[in-house]
Amino acid sequence: MKLEIKNITKNFGGMQALNNVELTIDKSEIIGLIGPNGAGKTTLTNVIDGVYKPSEGEVWLNDERIDHLPPYKIARRGLGRTFQVTRAFRRMTVMENMMVPAMAINPGAKRQNVINKAQGILEFLTFEHLANEYGRGLSGGQQKLLELARLLMLDPDFVILDEPFAGVHPTLQETIYGYIDKVRQEGKAIILISHDMDSIFTLSERLVVLDFGAIIADGNPQNVKQDPVVIKAYLGEDEEEDY
Amino acid sequence: MKRIPIQGVLLVLLLIFAFAFPRIMQGQPYWLYVALQSFFWAMMAASWALLAGYAGQFSFAHIAFMGIASYTSGILGRDLGWSPISGIILGTLMAGLVGVLVGYLCLRLRRTYLALFTIAFSEIVRLIINAEHEFTGGPMGLYMEPLLETTSYVPTYYIMLVALIVSLAIMYAIANSRLGLFLRSIREDEEAAAAMGVHVVRYKILAFVITSMIAGIAGALDHHIIGFIAPNELMIPRMSLVIAMAVIGGTESLISASLGAIFIHFAMEWLQKIPVPASWMPSLRENTATLQQFGLSLGEGYLQTNAWRMVLFGLMLMLTLRFWRNGLIQPLLEKIGRQGVAEETVAKRKFSQEENEIEGTEA
Repeated sequence: MKLEIKNITKNFGGMQALNNVELTIDKSEIIGLIGPNGAGKTTLTNVIDGVYKPSEGEVWLNDERIDHLPPYKIARRGLGRTFQVTRAFRRMTVMENMMVPAMAINPGAKRQNVINKAQGILEFLTFEHLANEYGRGLSGGQQKLLELARLLMLDPDFVILDEPFAGVHPTLQETIYGYIDKVRQEGKAIILISHDMDSIFTLSERLVVLDFGAIIADGNPQNVKQDPVVIKAYLGEDEEEDY
Repeated sequence: MKRIPIQGVLLVLLLIFAFAFPRIMQGQPYWLYVALQSFFWAMMAASWALLAGYAGQFSFAHIAFMGIASYTSGILGRDLGWSPISGIILGTLMAGLVGVLVGYLCLRLRRTYLALFTIAFSEIVRLIINAEHEFTGGPMGLYMEPLLETTSYVPTYYIMLVALIVSLAIMYAIANSRLGLFLRSIREDEEAAAAMGVHVVRYKILAFVITSMIAGIAGALDHHIIGFIAPNELMIPRMSLVIAMAVIGGTESLISASLGAIFIHFAMEWLQKIPVPASWMPSLRENTATLQQFGLSLGEGYLQTNAWRMVLFGLMLMLTLRFWRNGLIQPLLEKIGRQGVAEETVAKRKFSQEENEIEGTEA
């Protein structure tokens, strides 16, 4: 498994959202991706996922160039993501939500097998009792869980989780921790984007920091935490002096 | 918990009634004609519901596809001597072909932009038909060979009924297949559906093709029964009628949309001449002038409502949109279809809570 982001630049008119970003992930690990608001985290996700075409640079997945491919092809090649703002299919039941990715990546999948797999995942995420409820009837946290559950049905090698803890109750947060642990144990690589620093430092094995569209640090979380450039980007020069 | 298949029972009763209708209405060909026309509207409304309610493509081009198929069939019959059946088949294929084109052009358009684009497309088709009078008959219309050489409406009633049942069965199978699942995910969120591996482009175009062909076959069949088509049948108010029928029935169910269309078509026919009890007639006659001021006229035993039925119909649409976004029939069917789901959810939640408590105690 290998995801290579090679010199990616993304411009929106005169604004440069990503500037020469270079990143390689070639093993199963949890990579925390952090940065201040507007640093380019979600833009990078959208470039990797095929939603945006990069202005310059290339994205390679398992030795295949994917930056010209549409998102559905990238998903089928083993890259799955959640969204910053939850995007459950609201007028579909939880079970139907779960069936979409499984049926899309495997046209020959038997309905009953898909349902059985979905039930197993729902049980693991502790909301199997909601299988027949509509997405719109779920709480915000449950909708987050549903997005994660859908991702397990897609079964990708690379998982991008965009703000999975935002607006989530501590009990559900524990469930999401369990989810990330499960995905990691299945040998997948996880890119975790979050503003929840406690979770990022607890879970990440590698930390990448973006600021103004460029990577300013990449390495062991404890080292990155001490990096003066990162402290400056997060706290500003004046505050740094105070500390 | 075993659920009673009430929906199935209702459907069977409805089918029995539909097949027995010509016998019930013996001697009243007018109502038989109204019924077969209502089946045309039902096919239009149900196929539009598949496109808009399931796939989320709010298109006004549906009436244009109906017209394209009808005119193709009519012109082939007039100029090349094709039989109505061959013409209907080619007309339907032509509607599907244009559906591919419109579907492709609409790929990046959503909501208001899609609606405006398809209104423009529909009007262009109508205006071309209107202008090319040497080819299409222009505003004077086009005479089409009758489907059957008979003056009875009974055979044509059954043809339209079977066409409706078959098209509903095909659309129902699609709606409940993988394709239906993908269409609904596209309606909900195109970007999220694509991220889940759904080929959005393919399925959106497919939705246009399938529904265009059903609108096409409905139109071609119906106009071969009527024996005539004119460009004003492609006007936007008629498309609005299709949309209103589907909305009042419920756009997220094919059966609801088609029942909505049948109900509204019958109601509009019935409301043209409202029967009045004989005892009311003398006082109504005395007030004829007042009635005329309000656009009403008095016939023998009935009150002619003229434009008022459209006002009533508009009010009904407004109330439906305001208070029953899922239509009037769909919530009833859903209530029956999802009978016991809430109770099941609560029971499962309690069961898993109890299980957790037991596990906690044991630990």
